[in-house]
Amino acid sequence: MRFVVRMAVRELRASWRRLAFFFVCVAIGVGTIVALRSLIQGVGVAMTAETRALTAADVVIVSEQPWSAAALAIVDETLADEPVITATKSTEMMTMARPLDESKAVARVVELRGVEAAFPFYGAFELEGNQPYRHDLLLNGGALVRSELLTQLDVEIGEKIVIGNGTFEIRGVITREPGGQLGAFSFGPRVLIDRDDLVSAGLLQFGTRAERQVLVRVPEERIETLVGLLRARLADEAIRVRSYRNTENRIARNLSRAENYLSLIGFVIVILGGIGVWSVTRVFVQQRIRSVAVLKCVGATNGQVLTIYVVQVVALGLVGSMLGVGLAGMLLAFLPESLSEPATMVPGISDLSYGLTASAVAQGIAVGIIVSLLFSLGPLLEMRTIKPLSLLRWGTVTNSTLNWGQVGVVVALTVGLVVVASWQAASWEAGFWVCGGFAVVSFVLHLVGRILVRLVKSLGARAGFPVQYAVSNLARPGNQTRVVLLSVGLGSFFIIGIHSVQANLANAFAMEIREDSPDMFLVDIQQDQSDGVTGLLRDRIGQEPRLLPVLRARVTGVTGQRTNLTTAREVRRRGVGREYTVTYRGQLEANERVVEGEFWGGGQEQRAEVSVEESVRERLDLEIGDILRFEILGREILATVSSVRTVDWDDSRSGGFMFLFRPGVLEDAPHSFIAFLRGPREPRERAALQRDLVAQFPNVSAIDGLEVIRTVRRILNYATLAISMVGGIAVVSGILILVGAVAMTKYQRLYETAIFRTLGAPSRAIGLMLVVEYTTLGTLAGLIGSLGALGLTWGLTRFLLEINWEPVALVNVAGFSLTALTVSVVGVVASLDVLRKKPLRILVGD
Amino acid sequence: MIELRNVSKTVVSGSEPLTIVQPLDLSVPAGRHVSIFGPSGSGKSTLLSLIAGLDAPTTGNIHIDGVDITELDEDTLARLRGRKIGVVFQFFHLVPSLTAFENVLIPLEIAGAIDAQRRAGVLLDEVGLQDRAHHYPGQLSGGEQQRVAIARALANEPPILLADEPTGNLDSTNGRHIVELLQRVQSSRGTTVMLVTHDIELASVADVVLRMRDGKAEKVTADGLRREGR
Repeated sequence: MRFVVRMAVRELRASWRRLAFFFVCVAIGVGTIVALRSLIQGVGVAMTAETRALTAADVVIVSEQPWSAAALAIVDETLADEPVITATKSTEMMTMARPLDESKAVARVVELRGVEAAFPFYGAFELEGNQPYRHDLLLNGGALVRSELLTQLDVEIGEKIVIGNGTFEIRGVITREPGGQLGAFSFGPRVLIDRDDLVSAGLLQFGTRAERQVLVRVPEERIETLVGLLRARLADEAIRVRSYRNTENRIARNLSRAENYLSLIGFVIVILGGIGVWSVTRVFVQQRIRSVAVLKCVGATNGQVLTIYVVQVVALGLVGSMLGVGLAGMLLAFLPESLSEPATMVPGISDLSYGLTASAVAQGIAVGIIVSLLFSLGPLLEMRTIKPLSLLRWGTVTNSTLNWGQVGVVVALTVGLVVVASWQAASWEAGFWVCGGFAVVSFVLHLVGRILVRLVKSLGARAGFPVQYAVSNLARPGNQTRVVLLSVGLGSFFIIGIHSVQANLANAFAMEIREDSPDMFLVDIQQDQSDGVTGLLRDRIGQEPRLLPVLRARVTGVTGQRTNLTTAREVRRRGVGREYTVTYRGQLEANERVVEGEFWGGGQEQRAEVSVEESVRERLDLEIGDILRFEILGREILATVSSVRTVDWDDSRSGGFMFLFRPGVLEDAPHSFIAFLRGPREPRERAALQRDLVAQFPNVSAIDGLEVIRTVRRILNYATLAISMVGGIAVVSGILILVGAVAMTKYQRLYETAIFRTLGAPSRAIGLMLVVEYTTLGTLAGLIGSLGALGLTWGLTRFLLEINWEPVALVNVAGFSLTALTVSVVGVVASLDVLRKKPLRILVGD
Repeated sequence: MIELRNVSKTVVSGSEPLTIVQPLDLSVPAGRHVSIFGPSGSGKSTLLSLIAGLDAPTTGNIHIDGVDITELDEDTLARLRGRKIGVVFQFFHLVPSLTAFENVLIPLEIAGAIDAQRRAGVLLDEVGLQDRAHHYPGQLSGGEQQRVAIARALANEPPILLADEPTGNLDSTNGRHIVELLQRVQSSRGTTVMLVTHDIELASVADVVLRMRDGKAEKVTADGLRREGR
């Protein structure tokens, strides 16, 4: 063993420069895994450290409906039985706010929360300027707001804003908030007021969407019992009960899922690095044939030789992994602001700090070493076939036919990769899918590469000497063409693909605001306000909006041919338990199509009729004629399913409803309206219209569709930036593999060039060869990336996002050209040595 | 003691079988100096590679000190070479990434020699290269490289030294030095030396000369060979 270790050290001393590329490949992959894992774990620590502060209580009881007397009685009774308890109420809703100052013609959607003095039980508000939070700040018309609202409404602390019928004085700016919602998407900035003021502002009208919460503080050991009791007793009410532990679990679950899936992205990069490792080791083994033969000649066994090189691979893998950890550390230290911004938008984690975590580092290093070993095993095992006889007679070196050793290597590599991928994703299924997906993509790219190379070769055969030689170089023995095509092609495939998907998504959103599409939505219009709203809009924009009557309904039972659900709980288990917004009308909209049954055919039946959306039919396994039991405004309504519809959700002009009732049943029930309209183009006019609507109808919310689209686009941009960074790393890996490939085949190229020169080829012809060779290689890689991206975009848009697919010419052409240009420039620059060296030195040196 | 019984080597060239070494019986007692002489392509190097266990014969058996090496697997053969056979090549075949000293050290370390470092130093001293011990092969002349290769071949004091055209790549002065070195080794250590060459002068200093022509070997005397040369 001493000999093995000493030999490994001597070999490394001599060849580490040549193998530097080996650990760069490993480093990039490991760096990606470590950085992504550390990042998510950092967010996790920040979020789970204060989960109680995130819920602001031990137990939260939530109702979307005004509390029914029965439900409230159950809650009160249950809480009364608990030994030590404090409870407080809070209400959250989306509504409009505007400045009291009439000269400021603007109104904005806000997320309003009304709280009582006891709020919050856990966590603390942080206000700008280190102002301490006291409930007194909210009493008598006080409001605390997020700073965005000050900008949006052009108001300052001390000024007054109007919400509903109430006027509120801004008394502070919230920088951190306990009990906030998790998630980057919100309709508007937070406004905090006293709960009594929220009620007296007349905001809780009929049909208003609001979350009424009871927050409870109870001794730790009673939490689970209380949650269990409340859930059992409130089973038939549309009421949710959760503890801070549920939140903790949910956050932990989501974060660990995110961490594992992001690590898989890192794993894909590691595999690319692995391809680089394989390529380096292959060439390295070829260069060591004589040394290995010498070792065998002086008595070294196959096992000793193999161990010498395995020790080197492990050492290089370890150094590469450490380098990767260093890279990850640097990346986290200089994390672009633009990437950390979405995280800090989440209330409660504004003071997020990123750093390497021990478990991420350990996993990264382990993956780095395992992947180094797996990918170098194939080339290293070829050393067994090196005969000492090759010192006397060349050509007795390797056995190229398939043998069991190679089959074993392929099996070991496959199993090893699936195990590592599954470990990274913490799921066998995900591991199989990722490895399978990667194998299929690689195989397809490999196949396309082969076909293209063959095609180019046959075309090149008719060209002049430099072109012919350059093209034949792509297919010469020991060429790195396929490796470079695979790695660079895969990188550009990621980047072009993801930008094309983004462009397609942007197109889909743009479709919604074409000339005839509504871009403003009014919700919570009361029955007595409908004429007023219509009149105002007619005067201001010359349009009469379409008012759609809406009611809130819940399915509480199904009596069907295949499904029989008697309780709301059973319905909830089928995923249809939430409260739906329903409507009634006599005709289908342009975005609807009946796929089964008849839309309000024949004579009116005794019982109400309902048309259900396709996905509801699937979840409840419904047949035409089945009976659904609804609870609408506390009343039970039985309705026969008379048709099934599909709704094109992309086309929002007419809205979309899961349940559509036949006219004649719900007209007399109290309901509110929603309206779609196309607002004025001019931003100032839009703001003024919103303000006037809100001033006249304080409970109505006017949502600006353009704002929503802007928010969605912003989130989309973050996602694209993040994925592009991953694609960028893949391309960098590809370029590194290219540089490595050039370096590995350089000796052969130098020798050939020396011979060409001796035979009279001028520098220009040799330069031309290089340019043609690498431009062809780049063009093929770009072509593979672009073709792959077209396939990816088609699949994603069609099957996952369900939006229209359009090839994005600009993205594809730009991606293709950049790939071709990068490869040709990198290839030629890395080969410049070939042009500079004197032929005699090379020939003599050899 | 080297014994060859009915040893031949046939390869397939194109679709035709080509016999490189015709069936041969040979016995070389320990401590003898044997030259294998003949023109290019006569089968000399192939015969040497068969004796070194670098290649397997098509027919026959080869015994080294009573052990039939044709029955051994690759690893056992490697161990046997490490202990009993030193090989010197025309193109030296030093490991370019190791110094002269380290090249000599390898077989000693493989064999697990306790005083490997000291012995490697002594060997380099013996071939007159103590000053060049820490130079890499690329920094040595051809003659110096071949002397390192001989030191390496002698590292484990093998009873047999096989040399394939050891002077073929050297000028006459360096070639003479190498021959003298081999003769000294044979006489001082009692090593069996088998030398492949197409140089009559070099071949004729041996105790036994084996002349090869078209794969056929025949024993000739040194004087007879010299006369042929004239």
